Amino acid sequence: MGRTKPHVAPFVGPQWYVAAAWLAAAIVAQATIVHYLAFRGAVPSLVLVVVVWYAIRVDARRAAIYGLAAGICEDALSAQTGAAWMISTGLVAVVASLLSRGFFADSLPLAAAVTAVATLLRSLLFWIVMALGGYPAGLGAMHFHAALAQAALNVAVIVAAMLVARRFESARE
Amino acid sequence: MQIGAQRAGSVSPIATVAGSLFMAGETATTAAIRAARGLGLGMLALPGLERENAQLRQRNQTLTQENARLHELAAAYAAESAVRPVVDLYHGVEARVIGFPPENESRAVTIDKGSRAGIRRDDGVLGASGVIGRVAAAGPFSSTIILATDYTSRIPAIVRDGRWWGIARGNLSSVIVEFIPQDAPLRVGDVVVTGEGRSFHSGVPIGTITAIERGDATLYQTAVLRTSVDFGALDRVVVDTGGSH
Repeated sequence: MGRTKPHVAPFVGPQWYVAAAWLAAAIVAQATIVHYLAFRGAVPSLVLVVVVWYAIRVDARRAAIYGLAAGICEDALSAQTGAAWMISTGLVAVVASLLSRGFFADSLPLAAAVTAVATLLRSLLFWIVMALGGYPAGLGAMHFHAALAQAALNVAVIVAAMLVARRFESARE
Repeated sequence: MQIGAQRAGSVSPIATVAGSLFMAGETATTAAIRAARGLGLGMLALPGLERENAQLRQRNQTLTQENARLHELAAAYAAESAVRPVVDLYHGVEARVIGFPPENESRAVTIDKGSRAGIRRDDGVLGASGVIGRVAAAGPFSSTIILATDYTSRIPAIVRDGRWWGIARGNLSSVIVEFIPQDAPLRVGDVVVTGEGRSFHSGVPIGTITAIERGDATLYQTAVLRTSVDFGALDRVVVDTGGSH
């Protein structure tokens, strides 16, 4: 009598190429256009918004891979960050994925809350890694204020994006 | 009445009334004829006018596009002309700014030239009016430049009138020069230039002193600079490769 494989639910998250296309577009926009939208020293992070959008729809392993890939791209485009974005974005993707368990992924309050937490946590992890790498200390308050501003911007971006997506979906139906 | 008026050499009331009525009719008729004539001529000329209108619209559009292109060319020429003396002076590599750090976590830009153009790590980067920063990383086709205002930027600096040395450090929004001897009689308005080093030749303007911070119990004084380059409008830069390319 042969052993049967345990039943595994089929993957229903976004296709990898769709997620990759969104990530690529976000990274290009992040390195070129978003710079001009700076508010109180912070810019909205389209990359993090895309990572959170993906992470709250998939399991932690996929979220980690996606977050690491996004972080590597950001490190490649940044100066002197080493692997700080890779580490912080990868960990935050896992946290976002775990936080979203038990909720509907298209819930606006959930997405907004996870985005805000993810922004603050990623900033904290990023500057911890940078400090370990020798970045001069003494700017903690400034970085915290910038992270708060970025969290507000990111929440606004993800809420706007989800509302637009809902409008398109309802128009299609 | 007519005969009487004729005899008296005046105009009879009947003639006056009739003349007035006819005049009104004549005026209205003439106006109507003129309008009809104009309308007829207009209708005859309408296809031609429509064609001419379309041609003029197209020509206007073409001229608008050409005007925009010429303005862009003029701006590009002006920007290129501004950095040309710097390229000639230092035998540098001219490059354009194409990107920024994704999360604005540092004061840096990406340029469209890399190691294939002879650019190496720590090469100095200049603008038309002074220091911009130094190369932090050079890829084959692009390089990342740490701006002089970045918190990790350090540049050897000299107060031009007096030759006092210091270290120009980025302060995110401006540049400050630290470790200037306490006895140096600094003044607001003094120009600070680069000292000779790995990245820069001596004498490249960094900025102008806008404030001086002296402590009673300190060995050194600090000067706050207004940078000579507008870091918010970077476009064309020159990388001082030391003539290595």
